[in-house]
Amino acid sequence: MPTDNKRVRGPEVSQSPSLFCSRPAGVLSSPGPRADGRQRDQVDVRPVFVRCGLVSQAKGSAYIEAGNTKVLCCVYGPRETERKDETDMKSGRLTTDMRFAPFSCPERGSWIQGSQEKDFSLMLQESLQPAVCLHRYPRSQVEVNVVVLENSGSVLAHAVTCASMALADAGIEMYDLVLGCSLRQDGGSFVVDPTYPEENSRRPSGGGGEKRGGLTVAFLPSLNQVSGLQSDGEMAEETLTAGIRTCIEGCYKLYPVIQQALIKAVRRAAPPPAES
Amino acid sequence: MATVQVSEAEKVYILHGIRDDLRVDGRGCEDYRHMEVETDVVSNTDGSAKVTLGHTAVLVGIKAEIGKPRPLIPNEGYLEFFVDCSANATPEFEGRGGEELGTELSNILYKVFNNEHSLDLRSLCISPGEHCWVLYVDVLLLQCDGNLYDAISIAIKAALFNTKIPRVHISSDDEGGKEIELSDDPYDCMRVNVSCIVTLCKIGHRHVVDATLQEKACSVASLIISVTHKGVITCTRKVGRGSLDPESICEMTEAGRRVGKALHSPLIKLLQQEESLGKKRQKVGFLG
Repeated sequence: MPTDNKRVRGPEVSQSPSLFCSRPAGVLSSPGPRADGRQRDQVDVRPVFVRCGLVSQAKGSAYIEAGNTKVLCCVYGPRETERKDETDMKSGRLTTDMRFAPFSCPERGSWIQGSQEKDFSLMLQESLQPAVCLHRYPRSQVEVNVVVLENSGSVLAHAVTCASMALADAGIEMYDLVLGCSLRQDGGSFVVDPTYPEENSRRPSGGGGEKRGGLTVAFLPSLNQVSGLQSDGEMAEETLTAGIRTCIEGCYKLYPVIQQALIKAVRRAAPPPAES
Repeated sequence: MATVQVSEAEKVYILHGIRDDLRVDGRGCEDYRHMEVETDVVSNTDGSAKVTLGHTAVLVGIKAEIGKPRPLIPNEGYLEFFVDCSANATPEFEGRGGEELGTELSNILYKVFNNEHSLDLRSLCISPGEHCWVLYVDVLLLQCDGNLYDAISIAIKAALFNTKIPRVHISSDDEGGKEIELSDDPYDCMRVNVSCIVTLCKIGHRHVVDATLQEKACSVASLIISVTHKGVITCTRKVGRGSLDPESICEMTEAGRRVGKALHSPLIKLLQQEESLGKKRQKVGFLG
């Protein structure tokens, strides 16, 4: 058996001061207007700022900012793979790596364990893989590295969007862009693109609310295919399917913005020939 | 996951059969393979179970220890999952080969069992902020023939049903420190219904439950759904390299919920029956 290096729970020497201050009890779990002025029960995503081509050393890169969530992605490749087994002869390989900067979450690195980061990387890979034409890059490897600079909610959804933009910026052939959108169901109402406090609000003790959970969907808009889906918490089946449709609408809202950003990046890199 | 090579002709054969609701071994699209569940197989644990689903065999052992609760949630205990893909299952898992699969399985287990309705974590608290029960759930994969998630979740459900946690008294001694005493009679603390995981593989235009390795090789993507006994969906996840249509996701969710809900009551009845046999029960163990 491999050695168990994932369960070392030594005494915590230092703790965040926020543990000692009195917490405002359940302020955000009460159904009311959202803190940043967006609407509940409507597809109201945060306005995003996206830019491609920020990292000059990488083949392709993208940066996305949605509210306070800041995600940066770099793509390297196609490069030759070190391991050559049979599957590599026919199609390429996509490796993803998603990391959180230690200062990105309110608690310093403490609630994101290494295995959670691996989980996010795996979700990212599953969301991107259907969209990339790996059969055009046999015996090659495309590396996608995502760094979360600040986590202010729905980080996986924005990481998926950022990664697919970086892949497009790198010139990797794809069937379609992959856009991510997430949702938080809170009792009878939902909020789209939740912020960090909205995502992590604890259930008030003894409260009802069978439907309470979060959902992240990765979507290919022009093919109408869902490439990634993750939900937790508890939801009835109708709530889940309605939530998926809402997230798909959120992705459609984001699509034109991402397209514009890519067109701008292409124009900047290769300006159209001037009229002679 | 251990993979088999499937030829194109065989893939077409499997696809056409599933289109007509007939799988290679004669099952319908929503039928499980022959399943055997046995609890209390390992005497050193506080609860254990072994599940054999077709050729997939999973062994779960639960040990309860007294530990310090998490600083953010001082009045609840917690569970720790660890999945070990033993090299007995396939040679691919030798050394660190099975680590990736094991991490993926444990992460999904954390998500499935991490909500208040599936397990009342407050009952695991002994004294808030200082002591709580930590349940270490260790899963060992003995044989791997497809559909690991379902087998693991059924085994965890059976093992939790079987877990006996002793009653604890906290008393303060003269210097103001706390003393912990365990009472002598066994005390059944866990009688909760945890969720079951159902894996649905999309093959062609239909979906199948409990896919074998050959069927898995023909599918583009699968959906993992965890369902409680009331039919509430606690966790879903899409795995695999392909993409799914939103309509098929709705169909698969509905089917998964139906199958998952139908799985709970016969299982609980069986576990209660097994427990009522008490000492007279014939242990099958690992040789049967």
